[in-house]
Amino acid sequence: MKNWMMGAALAALATASPAFAADVTLQLKWVTQAQFAGYYVAKDKGFYEDEGIDVDILPGGPDISPTQVMAGGGADVTVDWMPSALAAREKGLPLVNIAQPFKSSGMMLTCLKESGIKSPEDFKGKTLGVWFGGNEYPFLSWMSTLGIPTDGSPEGVTVLKQGFNVDPLLQKQASCISTMTYNEYWQIIEAGISPDDLVTFKYEDEGVATLEDGLYVMQDKLEDPDFKAKMVKFVRASMKGWKWAEENPDEAAEIVLDNDMTGAQTEEHQKRMMEEVAKLTAGSNGALDPADYQRTVKVLMNGGSDPVITKEPEGAYTLEITDEALK
Amino acid sequence: MSFLIFAILFWAVAFWMNATIAARWSETGWARYFVPALFGVTLLVLWEGIVRGFAVPQVILPAPSQIAMRFAASTGVLWVDFRQTILKGALSGYVMGCAAAFVMAVLVDRSAFLERGLMPVGNFLAALPIVGIAPIFVMWFGFDWQSKAAVVIVTVFFPVLVNMVAGLKATDPLQRDLMRTYSASYLQTLIKMRLPAALPFLFNGLKIATTLALIGAIVAEFFGSPTRGMGFRISTAVGQLDMALVWSEITVAALAGTGFYGLIALAEKVLTFWHPSQRG
Repeated sequence: MKNWMMGAALAALATASPAFAADVTLQLKWVTQAQFAGYYVAKDKGFYEDEGIDVDILPGGPDISPTQVMAGGGADVTVDWMPSALAAREKGLPLVNIAQPFKSSGMMLTCLKESGIKSPEDFKGKTLGVWFGGNEYPFLSWMSTLGIPTDGSPEGVTVLKQGFNVDPLLQKQASCISTMTYNEYWQIIEAGISPDDLVTFKYEDEGVATLEDGLYVMQDKLEDPDFKAKMVKFVRASMKGWKWAEENPDEAAEIVLDNDMTGAQTEEHQKRMMEEVAKLTAGSNGALDPADYQRTVKVLMNGGSDPVITKEPEGAYTLEITDEALK
Repeated sequence: MSFLIFAILFWAVAFWMNATIAARWSETGWARYFVPALFGVTLLVLWEGIVRGFAVPQVILPAPSQIAMRFAASTGVLWVDFRQTILKGALSGYVMGCAAAFVMAVLVDRSAFLERGLMPVGNFLAALPIVGIAPIFVMWFGFDWQSKAAVVIVTVFFPVLVNMVAGLKATDPLQRDLMRTYSASYLQTLIKMRLPAALPFLFNGLKIATTLALIGAIVAEFFGSPTRGMGFRISTAVGQLDMALVWSEITVAALAGTGFYGLIALAEKVLTFWHPSQRG
């Protein structure tokens, strides 16, 4: 009965249900693009097949929250950012990080030079574009670290809910918008704004970077040895896919384009994205570095009056899977 | 499990009570309100019992008690959102859109030239999908409530226009001839006879437009908004897994929609008391 209820709820939640039961269903954080090249490469190049598993990759999108898909049982494993995963964990959804293909954060604020912003101090009184749906946490942590309120007061910043494009900056509706080094930043450049007219603040450089694009599963599933074995195979093949993508960025971008059912991605943009993403995955063999985890937790707890997480999470990551996978 | 058993028992008792009351006292005043009220309460009790009995995770469906607690705890936020979306976005758009449609209907009715030229444009507006125009309006009118009001204007314009145009045609030739024999001018005929005759039609359009206005204002906020508003809160609270807050907003939207519709229906009762449909 409980399963039936979950099934009904899930049918309502999941936008795409797999037509057949795969061994592993992976829910991406965003649409099909080079940000997830490693997984598409592993599938296309048969790395998953070599491990004897069948993987179904579900693209995400602006209205798809990975945590919610996981809560509904719509996927076995999801790509998510640590802030959103830890916040969900505190809300009673026990997500556990099993691998961390991305070493560094690609998040930044990109500002128009003409807005007169030279340092984070200049944000006061300005309008900034921020993504929501679980992606607002790094930004909110950063602002509390700076002690800038986000209530739209003259001493604080006015926050706009940014959609999935860079229009607010092009239209000058916002002085700065959230961008990823591998995606939105280039969309601005492609829209004809010269890099000289832009000022960027990387979260990495500001010391408020949080871990992005890790792999998360539900805690209770890890008690099942079969599931663990599947995850070991999945992580091993995925990391093989990532390293292959780093070495062959252009071909990896092609593979991503082949898998893009929407036809929305362009070759030039994907190749550039792949080059940028390779810089972020380069430092990782897939295993989470506990020091990075601690730094992320510290940034998130620093939220002043409104921290993203209120208490030190426990058991939010496991090294067992990667230890086994990377032997 | 005890919750579930209690909920089912409650349902059985309530069922029996309502059936009995409906059979015996259906003509009394209190039964008219008691029976539907008990039905509503039973639905909530069943919902609570099923969610707790089957231990459905809060992320999928929170229990009504959780929603009620969240609602009580966040009335401040809900009020801010209500003001932003309903009072500023939906209401202002509703008034502007309905007024524009009313004026255009009178113009269309006056000249066949305008009817042939403008009605297709009205048709065209009606066919525009909200998800298509909302991002464009955000670009044109900014992120605040103005762009939401613009979306509402476009969505309510057509139903009011079509109904009003039909309403202005609602008098029969005999009545119009009578006005002519009184040597009434166009304006006098319009104000004294044709507009009152068109009122039932107009209210039809206005009632349809209430719900459209709410939906338009909430959905338009999904495409860019300041950090307040019901649409903003619904879309972001889902990402934060705060389902109780999402349901609280839905409750506010439902109450606001019902109230809004009720007000228009009340105005109709007062203004078209002469119409056969208002007898009873």
